[in-house]
Formats: sequence, structure tokens, C-alpha cells
Amino acid sequence: MGLLAPLFLLGLVGLAVPIIVHLTEKQRRNVVDFPSLMFLRKIPFRSTQRRRIHHWALLSIRALALALLVAAFTRPFFANDEVAIGSTLGPREVVVVLDRSYSMGYGDRWERAKTQAREVFAGLDASDRASLVFMGRGAEALLRSTSDRDRLLTALDTASLSADGTLYGPALKLAQTILEESQFPNREAVIISDFQRNGWKGDEGVTFPPGTVVKSVLISDDATPNAAVASVAFRREFFSGQERMTATARVVRRQGEAPADRTIVLEVDGQEVQTKTVRLDPTGSATVTFEPFTLSELYTRGSIRLDPDALPQDDVFHFVLSPGRAMRILVLEGGSPRPDASLYMQRALEISEEASFQVDVRRSTSLSAADLEATDVVVLNDTRFPQGATEDRLRGFVEAGGGLLLVLGERSAWQTGLEELLPGRFGPARDHTRGAARLGYLDYTHPVFELFAGPRGGDFARARFFRSRDLELGPEGRVLARFDDGSVALAERRLGDGHVLVWTSTMDAFWNDLAVQPVFLPFIHQVMRHLGGYRERVPWFTTGQVLDLADPDGMVFVADRERELAPDVAQVALTPGGGSVALPATSGPRFLELEEAGFYEIRPPGTNPERTLAIAVNVDVTESELESMDPAELAAAVASREAGGEIGAGGEMLTPEIQARNQERRQSLWRLLMVAALVLLLAETAISNWISRAATLRFKDGRSYVPSNT
Amino acid sequence: MAVRERSSIQGADTQFLDPAVLSRISGLDLLARTVVDGFLQGLHRSPHLGMSLDFAEHRAYMPGDDIRRIDWKLFGRTDRFYVKLFEAETSANFMVALDISRSMSFGTGAVTKLDYARYLAASLSYFSQKQRDRVGLATFDHEIVEYVPPSTRHLQLILHTLTRVEPGRPGTLRDPLMRLGDNLHHRGIILVLSDFYEEPEQVIDSVRHLRARGHDVIVFHLLDPAELEFPYESAASFRDMESDIMIPIVPDELADEYRTLIGQHTEELARLFTGSRIDYTVLDTSKPLDYALFQYLSSREKMSRVR
Repeated sequence: MGLLAPLFLLGLVGLAVPIIVHLTEKQRRNVVDFPSLMFLRKIPFRSTQRRRIHHWALLSIRALALALLVAAFTRPFFANDEVAIGSTLGPREVVVVLDRSYSMGYGDRWERAKTQAREVFAGLDASDRASLVFMGRGAEALLRSTSDRDRLLTALDTASLSADGTLYGPALKLAQTILEESQFPNREAVIISDFQRNGWKGDEGVTFPPGTVVKSVLISDDATPNAAVASVAFRREFFSGQERMTATARVVRRQGEAPADRTIVLEVDGQEVQTKTVRLDPTGSATVTFEPFTLSELYTRGSIRLDPDALPQDDVFHFVLSPGRAMRILVLEGGSPRPDASLYMQRALEISEEASFQVDVRRSTSLSAADLEATDVVVLNDTRFPQGATEDRLRGFVEAGGGLLLVLGERSAWQTGLEELLPGRFGPARDHTRGAARLGYLDYTHPVFELFAGPRGGDFARARFFRSRDLELGPEGRVLARFDDGSVALAERRLGDGHVLVWTSTMDAFWNDLAVQPVFLPFIHQVMRHLGGYRERVPWFTTGQVLDLADPDGMVFVADRERELAPDVAQVALTPGGGSVALPATSGPRFLELEEAGFYEIRPPGTNPERTLAIAVNVDVTESELESMDPAELAAAVASREAGGEIGAGGEMLTPEIQARNQERRQSLWRLLMVAALVLLLAETAISNWISRAATLRFKDGRSYVPSNT
Repeated sequence: MAVRERSSIQGADTQFLDPAVLSRISGLDLLARTVVDGFLQGLHRSPHLGMSLDFAEHRAYMPGDDIRRIDWKLFGRTDRFYVKLFEAETSANFMVALDISRSMSFGTGAVTKLDYARYLAASLSYFSQKQRDRVGLATFDHEIVEYVPPSTRHLQLILHTLTRVEPGRPGTLRDPLMRLGDNLHHRGIILVLSDFYEEPEQVIDSVRHLRARGHDVIVFHLLDPAELEFPYESAASFRDMESDIMIPIVPDELADEYRTLIGQHTEELARLFTGSRIDYTVLDTSKPLDYALFQYLSSREKMSRVR
């Protein structure tokens, strides 16, 4: 209920005026001259009687009539009667879009939201149809266009909160589809959500059919203090032959009034190993670095937990770690190499925290099959290219996914057949006569250089190149770096599953001084990781992500043992909630949707291996930002442009025709009030006349002198 | 006889004695003549009572009687001494003491108490003049305001004085009546017209002083019907017309008690006046003047008997 002209309520003050005047001022103004008060003064004075009102009924009628008049002038209207109104206009198609993202788990929001949805379903007529659409990052129509109210209520009762984030687009699009398919004349969308701003981009492209009443139900709280573990970073260290991990958690606090101390716990394989206290400012973040812990087992599960607050879903952060595997690099120098030909490269590779490199430098170019089987990357450093069987094994090695780096120097020589293996044909050494050449172009989109793409990501231009070998790029070749004179510095060719890189200068400090530049170490690490196919294992995923367990390229981020995800082996995925998802053996994709936060286990059905492939899943931390948008903004965005409707007081989008009908019905109350007031005034007139006549008769009878006026 | 006379009065046409009618007559002279002549016509008897030496009866002579009143003719026939008794004294003083205090200006009907008293004073003065009495007038509030000494020639002066009297000041009885008594050296009839808003003891003390000086005192207690019935219903502030004191009153609750008190007041006055051999009559100013005139005549008749 609302009032169009609430200022008219001041007229209610008028109710008190006649009473106050009657009780106070009236006697002062109504003065009767009397010859003497000598008898009246002898009578005990009773002040309370002075305030006596003679005709209560008359006064009540007058007061009520005045109150009704005032109420009529305030133009009262019903604010939330669209459902009721719609029910009188014919059957409705109602779509309830219920947000079940995990932010709705803040306090009692979820229960409040379900209560609102129940009220909508309870207000349905028998001829109405309703749909229940759950909104997360995706959309799910649990019940679609049904008139079975019991099913709707049951579905609502059994609904549970998800660990998903919020995206308005899919759910609203689904609601749009349902409404468009409906033949009912009245369509209504009820969006029950906390209306988080970060779920709305504004370009969702959702437009409800013309005539749709969009009703927004905002589920919010006055204050939403919330803290969350936003992310965790890991640092690997090798100490005494063991790999140690140092976890650093970043904790954010969205709202609050004063700095607060929160307890944060590190759990490894279910065991609480460390507990710390972090002080959080009202709106800010803090990092907590735990003491290193030894990482010796595959798929070690860890969690970092804050003591729970009103939104517990974002107070825990899961991860899965496995010990790192050293990348084996075989450097072939050939006979009589320069003493420092591989020195800088070897030293640089030995300095590594995350991915360790095992570097083997040989002064021959012979390679056995066993050598290559235990090698990830082969480096031909300023030497002749192997020929014969070794060349064939090397080709096979690359095609099978291995990496080959060809460093061109004085002793590198072109030979027939290399055009099938290398990105281009290289020529003789060439001095850069006009001073030293510098790297003028880097392909920052390539994995080798993407690390340096950011500002202050590394200055390759400081390196001076005095001599290099020209490279005539072949059709399969790709230039990754060029000197400032346009000649190729680094080129790549993909061969089978592997890669071949050609560096047209040396890796020592003779032809260039790159080896003594700061960028050399990360550069050489990136080159080796790229050639060796190194993939950092992903410690966690986010809810809503979908994994194709049959995709080997994708799953290298997950599994350490190829057999675990072999497509010919049936698997079962155990969800964090205790459910299971069958992953039968198939040649096609095997999708696993990560819907819950926690740890997923993947293993063959009926088995219980000691270390099961585990996948950590965390909620989307952006969902923990609880700032709400204006529901009217969303309602305006999804309303039909053809309708040209306006937004109601509660964020409703009303089309003109419905708006007109509703407005008329909502505001028609003043007429009833006016009629009631007039009836009362007529009754008051009749009663007061009757009282007046009675007083006159009493006067004529000598029993009364002054007719009473109240 | 008095009863018979009153019944004859009630049967008379008293239309012209209605105060509402009289209020339309501007001149008190005309008003007095209208009242008295009309009233006397209704009586169907001689209005001249006690004004002559009408023989009443004989009484045996008793020592101390004036020997000039001995009827010698009867002594000659009976050889016994008898004295003659006459109907009335002649050429009596008729003095009107009129209260013109502010409370007398109260009136809820056609006339105020003062108007009513003025009509009475004029009428009775006119009447007394016709009786060949000497008529006088004293108006007073807390002191004597106007004083017209009794005289057979002062009727017009009295009427003129009555015409222009204005109430305005608070009044008391004792001082002006004491002063009046002191001024009247010849005994006569004194008509006191007042609303007597004083305690009965004070009233009787004031009036008794006149009686003690040998005057025959007739008291007319003038009250408006509103003072008798207190018919007010609405709560209001009641203002004392003489003191201007205001009191908030809810009449419904007080009316009965007021009527009881005013009744007790008049009863007490009647008791005290009667005890002092003073004729006391309460006059409702809404009633015709004939009742007052009758009361006057009745009292005058009683006074005229010489014992």
C-alpha cells in the first residue's frame, strides 16, 4: 500500500482540532454572564467533567468521515497487487527465476528467497501456469510451464543452494524462451535474487515478450560484511632432495566496520598443519604465508580455511598439488666445442624453483633410442646436425612430442634433408657491421615470449648481437624473433606433436651478450618449457568449469599419470557431496561438470587406489562481492522495447496497457473512501439534526436552555 | 377574601401585564398607567384602599387610647366609651428601593431583572400616587445612586429617574439600605426590589434595619427563570457579572445542585423575612406583573389594617 499524495495526511491533524477546541478553547470562548456565582462556587468543582464529550457517536462519525476524506485525498494505491490483478485478467504464464548462486547462502537469504517464491506459487490460480528456473552461471528449468502447484512447491522445497556464481543472461534467456512459447495473454517474470552487480554485464541481449510484467524481488541485507580466501599462490623449493611447498593465501574483506582478526588454517590431506591469525581491515586484503610443507605424494589435497562467517562458501580454498617432475634436457655440443658454449645455458637451467631441469651435456651427436626416451628436449648447440639413424630417431622424437633446439654457431652446417625438419634454411654466419644488432621484434603471443609481454617484463633490447646466421624461412616456419635489421633471430616449426626451434646466434657470450642479460634465464627456461611440453599442474578449478577427461592436451593440467585418464578405461567421478558421475570408456569426449566446491575423485569403478586422481574445485570468488545492483535497472533492460513500459516502484517493468489497468485499479480506492465519507457525513447530518430537534424539544419543555452542539 | 381576589385576578385579561408586551412600551408613564389601570379594571373593585377615613368598627375604650377618637355620639346613646377604628392611614410614604447593581441587568427573556423592577417600581409608584401617597425612589448598588424623596409631586421625577437608571457597579444591601433608613424620617412603606445575592443573614440584617425604624417593608426578590431553573447544557465559562470572576462549569452536573441551593436560599430568605414580619415575594421575571401587583396590594391591605 502506498500513497500518491502523502502530504494530505497532515489533514488528519484536523481530527484533533474539534476535540481540542471542544475540550479547551471552547469554554474559554463560550462565556456565559451570570448574575452571581455564589451558588456555583459552593459546588465542588470537577475538572474531569469539563472534558466530557456528550455525543461520542456523533464525534466518532465526524472524525471517521474526516479521516476518510483525508485518506481519499492522499490517493492510496496498492503497490504489489500485480499478481492479483493479473489473475483477474485471464490465465498467466509465470516464470520464477530463482537465484541459487552461493551468495544467496549469506545469512538466511536462501530461505527468504524460497519464501518469496512460495508466495508467488501460492498466488497462482488454477488456470495459471508457472515455471521454476534456477539461476547460477548457467540456467536450469526445474519445472516448465506447469499448473501443478504442488509440484512447484515440492520442487522449491527440495531445491538447494549451488556453489555457482551469478550470471543473469542464461537464466533470463531461458525465461524469455518460456514466455515466448506461452500462448497465455498474461506473462509475468518474477526474478528473485540478491541482484549482484558483477553478474550483470548489460549486453545479455534478453528481451521479454511485449506485455510481460517483470517483477524483481530483491533479497538483501542492510550490511554484508564478508571475508573470503581469494586465491592461493605456491612456491616450490627443493631442499635436501625433497620438494617443499610454501603456500601464500590472499584474504579479502569486502565490508566491515573495524579491523578484525580472523583465524586461518592450512590443512594438508585432511590434517590441520598450521593455524595463523590474520588482521583484516574493513575493506582490504591481506596475505598469509604459511611455513613450507613437504610435498612428496601425488595429488596431495590441501585446504585453507577461514573461520566461517555469514557466507561460509568462500571461506575455504581447496587445492591439489603433486611433486614436480624434472625436465630432462640433452645438450649435444659435438666435437671440440667452445669451452663456454653451453655453460650459460646449463647454469641458467640449473637455477629453477618451479620446474627443475636435468641438463646432460654431451660432446657427441650420437643419440640412442634410450637416450631419447629419457629426454624431453634435445639441444644441438653449435654442432652439425646428426645424420642417418640418429637423424631419423631425432625426427621421430620430435614428432612424438619431443623438443629440439638448434643453436646455430660457427660449426653448424646445412645439409640436405634438414628442410623437412627445420623452419627454414640457414646460411653462413654474418657479422652485423653497423654496430651490434638488437632484437627488434618479439612475438609476445608465443609461449616463449608471453611471459615478457607485460610492462617491465624483460628488456631483450639490451642484448647486443654481433654475429648471427641468416635463416631463410620455409613454408612451415614461424618467426618468433627478429633482429632490428629484419633478419630472423628465432624461428619455430611444428613437427608432429613436437616443436623445433632455431636460434640463429650462439648461447655463449661470444656472438652476443644475451647470456649475461637478466632476461636470459627466464628466456631459456621458457624455451625449454615450451619445447618440453611442460604444463604447470592446475592446483584448483572453479565451479562451473567443465573438463573433458578425454582431451589429453587439457588433462595434462590435471593428471600426472597418463593411464589414469586413458579413454579405454571406464572411470567414475566422486563429487564432493558424495555423489558419483559415471565416465564410461568411450572414444568420444568425457565431460565432467564441476558443480560443487571441494574435491572430485576420479578412479576406475570398484577400485580404491592409494593416491586417487583428485581435482580441487573452489567457488568463484567474484561471487563473494555482494554489492547489489538496482533491480529496476535489470527490469528495464529485459523489458520489451516495443512495450515502452515503465518501471514500477518495486522494480517492476509494466507495459503501458497493464500499467494503465493496474494504475486504475490500484488507485481506485479513493473513490470508495470518498463514498464512505459522504455516507458518513449524511448519517452525521441526520443524527445531529435529530439531536438538535431533541434538544429543542427539551428547551421547549423547559428542561433545556442551550441546545448542545456536540 | 384574598383568595377570592387572586382568583379574580387570574381570570382577568393579563395580556397587557406580560413583561414581553410591556417591553414594547417606551414610556414608563404610559406603561405604569397601562399596568395599573388594566390591573385595577380586572379587579372590579375600588382601587382606593385606606386612603380615606372610612369607618371600620368600634372598639371599647381602653386606657391609653386617644380620647379624640372617642365616638361621643355613641356615648350619648349608650353611655359607654367607644373609639372609632378607621381603615387606613392617609397620605403614607411609599418608597421604592431599587437595586441597580450589575447583576440586575441579567435577563434571558424579553426583559432583564432591572427592566422588570423598573416596570414594577413605575407601576406601583403610579398606583400609590393614585392612592394619594407620597412616592419616592432610591436606586442603589453599593451605595445610594439616585434618591428622590417621597412627595406627592415626585411621580414624574421618579419615572424619569427610572427611565435613565443604568446598572454598572457591584452592589451590596447593607450600606445603602442603612443610609436609606436614616434618610426616611417618616414611617412609610418601603418596597425593596433586588435579586439579593448575599447570604440570607446579611440580607435580613440589611432589610431589618428598615423594619426596625418602623417602616413597613415589602420585599420583591427578582429572579430570572434562568436563575431559577439553570437550564444550561453546554460546558462554558460562567462569569460573575459583578466580580467578573469566571468559572468553567459543566451545567449538567451542577444544575440539580444549583437548583437545590437557590431553593434553599429563597426558603431561608422567606423564613427570615417572615420572622421579621416582612412580606417577601419571589418574582419570576418571565411571569406577568399582575402577580407582583397582587402581592403588593395584598401586603398593602394587610398593612392598612389598623389594630
